Amino acid sequence: MSAVLHAHPESGPTLGVASTGKPNRVLSEAGLRGRWWRFAAILAITAIVLVPIMVTVLLAFTPGPNSTATGLTFENISNVFSKTLAATWLQNSLITTLSTVIVAVAVAAPAGYVLSRGRSKAVSGYSLLLFVMQSLPIITSVVPLFILFAGMGLVDNLMGLTIIYVGSTMTVATWMMAAYFDSIPISLEEASWIDGCSVFGSFTKVVLRNSLPGILSTAIFAFLLAWNDYLVAIVFLRSSEIFTLPMGVQSFFQQNQTDWSGVMALAVIMMLPPIIVFATLNKYFSVGGIGGSLAGR
Amino acid sequence: MALTTAQTGLSRARRGVAPGGSGKPAKPVNRKSKLSSQTRKTFFWLLLPSVVLLVLIHGYPLVYAGVQATHDGSLIDTGEFVGLENFATVLASEAFWKAARFTLLFTIVGVFGSWAVGLGLALLLRTKIPAGGLFKVLLLLPWVVPIVVSSTAWNWLVGTPDSLVPSIFRNLGLGTPLFLADPTLAAITVMVFKVWVSFPFMMMMTSAALASVDTTVYEAASMDGATRFQQFSQITLPLIARSTYISWILMTIFCVNDFPTIYLLTGGGPVDATTSLVVLAYRTVFQDFQTGPGVAIAFLMTITLVVISVILYRQIRKSSVE
Repeated sequence: MSAVLHAHPESGPTLGVASTGKPNRVLSEAGLRGRWWRFAAILAITAIVLVPIMVTVLLAFTPGPNSTATGLTFENISNVFSKTLAATWLQNSLITTLSTVIVAVAVAAPAGYVLSRGRSKAVSGYSLLLFVMQSLPIITSVVPLFILFAGMGLVDNLMGLTIIYVGSTMTVATWMMAAYFDSIPISLEEASWIDGCSVFGSFTKVVLRNSLPGILSTAIFAFLLAWNDYLVAIVFLRSSEIFTLPMGVQSFFQQNQTDWSGVMALAVIMMLPPIIVFATLNKYFSVGGIGGSLAGR
Repeated sequence: MALTTAQTGLSRARRGVAPGGSGKPAKPVNRKSKLSSQTRKTFFWLLLPSVVLLVLIHGYPLVYAGVQATHDGSLIDTGEFVGLENFATVLASEAFWKAARFTLLFTIVGVFGSWAVGLGLALLLRTKIPAGGLFKVLLLLPWVVPIVVSSTAWNWLVGTPDSLVPSIFRNLGLGTPLFLADPTLAAITVMVFKVWVSFPFMMMMTSAALASVDTTVYEAASMDGATRFQQFSQITLPLIARSTYISWILMTIFCVNDFPTIYLLTGGGPVDATTSLVVLAYRTVFQDFQTGPGVAIAFLMTITLVVISVILYRQIRKSSVE
C-alpha cells in the first residue's frame, strides 16, 4: 500500500532505530572533533528534513487570518472539530484502522505459523503467491473490487474499506509473522506435545504467547497502512460522513480558498497517532516490517 | 498414537527448515517431507482465512481485471469482448509512453536518491554522537507521517508563487520558481518529495545491515593501511550488498506502485508532466470512465511487477540456501 509501504532488514537485527549501532571503534578514533562535526551535520540535516512537519505544527497553532487571537492558540483545532466533520472522520479512521489491525493479525498469525512450520510444496507455493501478490499495484484490484463491492453494498462503507485493508496487509503481515515464528524454537512446542497438547494448542498456548514482539510489529505495519491509505479511500468513499481522515484533509482543497489553518489543524490530529505508536512501540518494529521478513526468509 | 504421528510429522517438517529469523546460512529445506493427516488438517484450518482473503481481495480481482481489460465496457457494464484491442490502444497512445517514461525516471531517482541519502545518514549515525538515538527517531518522521499530511505541508511550502520557498528564492534574487506549475520543476519537486518520504526506510534498512557488520574487520583493514574510502567501498558496501539489493527491489516496487505521493502533490499535472502509470490508470478509469484501457494499463504494470518480484523471490531463496 501503498503500502507498502511500505518495510525492513535481515531477519535477526531488529530495526535499526532501537538497536542503534554500537560505537565503531575505528571510526571513533577520529576523536571528539569528528564527533562534533558529525553532530553538527546531523543537526543541520534533521532541521532541514523536518521543515514540512514543523510548518504543519506551527500553522496548526497559529491564529488564522480571520482570528483575533494572538500567540499560539488551540482555536484552529477547536474550530476544525466544531465546523467540520473532523470528529466523525477521526472516529471513522480509528474504527477502520483498529479493525484492520485486529483482523489482519488474526488472519496472518495462523497463516504465518503454517508457513513457518509446515514446509510442503503447497505451502511454499502459497508463500510465493503471497509474495507476488504483495507487489502488485492495488489499482488493478480496486476496479474489479469496486464493482463487486457495489453489488454487495460495501462501497461508501467502512466495512468494505476494512476488508480491502486487511486483504492488502495480510500478504506482508503473513511473511512477517512467519519470519518471527521461525525464531521460536520448535523444542518449546515439542515439550507441550509431550504434555498432550495438540498442534493447534501449542500454536495458541506456546507460540502465540511468546510472539508479542512479532505481533506488535505486524500490528504497527497494518496500522500504518490503514491509517495512511489514500488510494482505496478515494475510490470507495463517496459521502463526507463516511470519510476517513485522509479524505477529510483532502476535502479542504476542494474549496476555492484553502483554509490553511483548518487543514493544518486536522493534519496535526492525523499525524499524532502514528507518531505516538512509533514513539512507544518502535523497539518492537524490526526493520523487520517488510524488508526484514522478506530478507529473512 | 495419532498425536505421536503429528509430532513426528511436524518435527520432521521442521527439521529441514532454516532458522529464518537468524539470518545465518540455512540448512537445505526439505520440501518433500510429509505431514501427518491430523497436522495437515490443523494447518488447513489455520491457513483457510488467509486463503479466502487472498482469493477475494487478490485472486478474483486479478481474474476479473483480465476480463475487463479485454472488454470495451464501463464500470457498470462489462461490455463486448474486444480481445487485445485495449492493450493495442494503450500501447499506441502517447500518454501511456509518456507516463511509462516518467514512472521509470521517478523510480530510478526514488530508489537511488533515497538510498544515497539513507546510506549517508546511516553511516553518519553509526558512530556515537550526542543524542544519536533521538535523531534516528526524528529522521523517521517523514516516513511515519501520513502522505496526506506531508503533501499538504509541501503544498503550502511550494504550491503558489507566494509560498515560503518561492519567496525565499525571490528574496535571494533567483526569480520566482513555479514549483508545481512548470512541467520540469514539478517533476523534480515530486521526485525530491518522494526521496524525502522514502529515505528513512532506506536508512532503517541500511542501519540494520550496518549493525550486523563485524567492526573488527575495519581494525584489520586500517592496520593494513586501507583508507576510509577503501574501507567503505571494499568492506562496508560488499558486506551490506544483499540487504542493499533487497531494499532496491522493494523500493522499486514501492515507487512503481506509488499513487498518493504524486497524485496529492500535483494530481499528475501540469500538462501530464508528472503522470505516472498508476495515476494514468486511475484517471483513465475514474475520470475518463474508460475501464478497459485503464485496467489494461494496470495489467501491464502487474506483469512488470510480477517479473520483478519473482526475481526478488528467487534471489532471496537462493541467498538463504547458500
